Amino acid sequence: MAATDTAPAEAPTGLLARIDTHRRLRPLVRVALPAALLLVALLLIPFVFTRVAPYTMADGVQLVLLAVAALGLVPLTGYAGQVSLGQAAFYGTGAYATAILTVHYHLSPLLGILVGVVAAGLLAWLLGLALFRAAGHYLTLATIAVGLVLAVVVKQFDLTGGAEGISGLPALSLGGLQFSDDVSFFYLAAAVLVVASLVVQRVCRSQLGTTLLAISDSPIAAQSAGVDPAPQKRFAFVLAAVCSALGGTLYALWSSFVDVNTLDLNLSLQLLIIATVGGRRSVYGATVGAFVVVSLARFAKEWLPAVSSHAGGQVEIIAYGLALILVLRLLPRGIVGGAAAALKRLVR
Amino acid sequence: MSELLQYVVTGLTTGSAYALVGLGIALIAQVTGVINFAQGQFVMLAGLLFAVLEEHQVPTVLAALAALAVTVLVGLALERLVLPRQAAGRTDQAIMLTIGASIVIEGVAFVTIGTEPKFARPFTAGDALRFGGASMDRQYLWVIGIAALVMLAVWLVLTRTRTGWAMRATAMDPDAARLSGISPSRMSMLVFLAAAGLGAIGGIVLAPLQSPDASVGIGLGLKGFAAAVIGGLDRPAGAVAGGLAVGVVEALASGYLPSSQSGFADGIAYAVLLVALIARPTGLLRRVTGERV
Repeated sequence: MAATDTAPAEAPTGLLARIDTHRRLRPLVRVALPAALLLVALLLIPFVFTRVAPYTMADGVQLVLLAVAALGLVPLTGYAGQVSLGQAAFYGTGAYATAILTVHYHLSPLLGILVGVVAAGLLAWLLGLALFRAAGHYLTLATIAVGLVLAVVVKQFDLTGGAEGISGLPALSLGGLQFSDDVSFFYLAAAVLVVASLVVQRVCRSQLGTTLLAISDSPIAAQSAGVDPAPQKRFAFVLAAVCSALGGTLYALWSSFVDVNTLDLNLSLQLLIIATVGGRRSVYGATVGAFVVVSLARFAKEWLPAVSSHAGGQVEIIAYGLALILVLRLLPRGIVGGAAAALKRLVR
Repeated sequence: MSELLQYVVTGLTTGSAYALVGLGIALIAQVTGVINFAQGQFVMLAGLLFAVLEEHQVPTVLAALAALAVTVLVGLALERLVLPRQAAGRTDQAIMLTIGASIVIEGVAFVTIGTEPKFARPFTAGDALRFGGASMDRQYLWVIGIAALVMLAVWLVLTRTRTGWAMRATAMDPDAARLSGISPSRMSMLVFLAAAGLGAIGGIVLAPLQSPDASVGIGLGLKGFAAAVIGGLDRPAGAVAGGLAVGVVEALASGYLPSSQSGFADGIAYAVLLVALIARPTGLLRRVTGERV
């Protein structure tokens, strides 16, 4: 991916060629155009979600927070080929750290965000030290186990509020601005999403992204070229944890309530599906995937009780599973990857 | 003392069911390189179907056979329809596909059967047997006996039949196996059938002891993973030993933890899995990664 930026081997014709003649425009088209599209899409959400029937502004906030939380899976799963099914462990770590610091110790929400993100990153780094020593797919198993163990642990302690969780988190305020209602919080979260998308994209387009791809395509070739896969994978894992924790801390401050559901396996599944359905190799996939998942959840809640009296919300997870299977089999690069390929063919 | 004996007996019983689940996971991982996240759903599906059929007055043997047959068909559909034909190259994709299949199976079970747990009768009626101060439900004997028989059968197939040799050859060196005329696709299908069957038997024998509902699959699958990881996934016997170990540790933990801490017992199997993964990661899939060259 990164290689095509610097060395255009093929000579494109048509519209792309005309753009190509202005070589300096290429980075603009490749980086600025998708970013601008993301910005426009995000700015449209408050208008659409407050007017189109089943959506609410809360869905919009959730969409953005889920997208932030899933962002780090792009380098981890899309590039390094490591499947994590425990991102909720980091989401929950961030959420609980923020809740404990702000409610029990009355510290500022910003400090809560910082500590939550650092704590999750540290947890991922320690896990990564042990888990990436050998090749293989332990990560998926270990991450599920971490989430489930944490879920059991937080239910046992008073500090974490037991089964009731922690409520009464203060609203986030920055320089005199209060982010207490859904719309203002949405704009804050959307800004975080745009910045985080650009940062993660920067990482993916760097040497590290290329190295991660090489490690996942052929670990032995990468190793014989002098690459030690463990630190590279660990970095991607920590980045994924940090993104999930950022989503979790913001969620805690938005809902002003944290309980064991922030550590739920279902959330990890949602995050994996968001990254995969949207497109594992593109940071914009996370936003598209989050839109799909939030829509599935919303429509399942609106329509399904009428269709099936049994197990109302459970049809939702069938839809998640089918979406995952169908996208992986029919559109392996996800919606964004597939759309980008189709666009390229059209423009030529 | 009799308390300890009681916990060990209980642990060995549920442990034998976990061993069956872990054995299926280990077989699939060895032969195809895929970690099958839907394995726990095989256990749930068979146990739940068995209990539902029993509720509808279907004779025990018939109910067990029907549950086994449906589960094996689901395993076949997973391998033939969901997984890509060349699974070996893209293990991360195959893992995600089994995750997708797992939640589809769970969701379908929720929608068709509902969320309430179902109750199955023990295979034979009668009082618990007593020995050395411990009491032993008759179902315990069924679980341990059937699990032992099934494991013996798996061992015989793997070591005494041409199909078993072909499976082991594929696990050791898929390229060499293919060169000597063994079809990897056929081996993959057979091993998924076997794993679905093993999971189903585990689910059926466990149903009278732990009333199954549609949500138990993931937990049972993870206990199977813990079993297989502790055993190292190298030898099928390892998964069996691992399963028994997980069962006993779990029973001891829930027995001896003070009631204020009893919530921790839920997490014991997952903690065991985590510790095994952190302490001894080379056990898992060592052979498979070597084969990808």
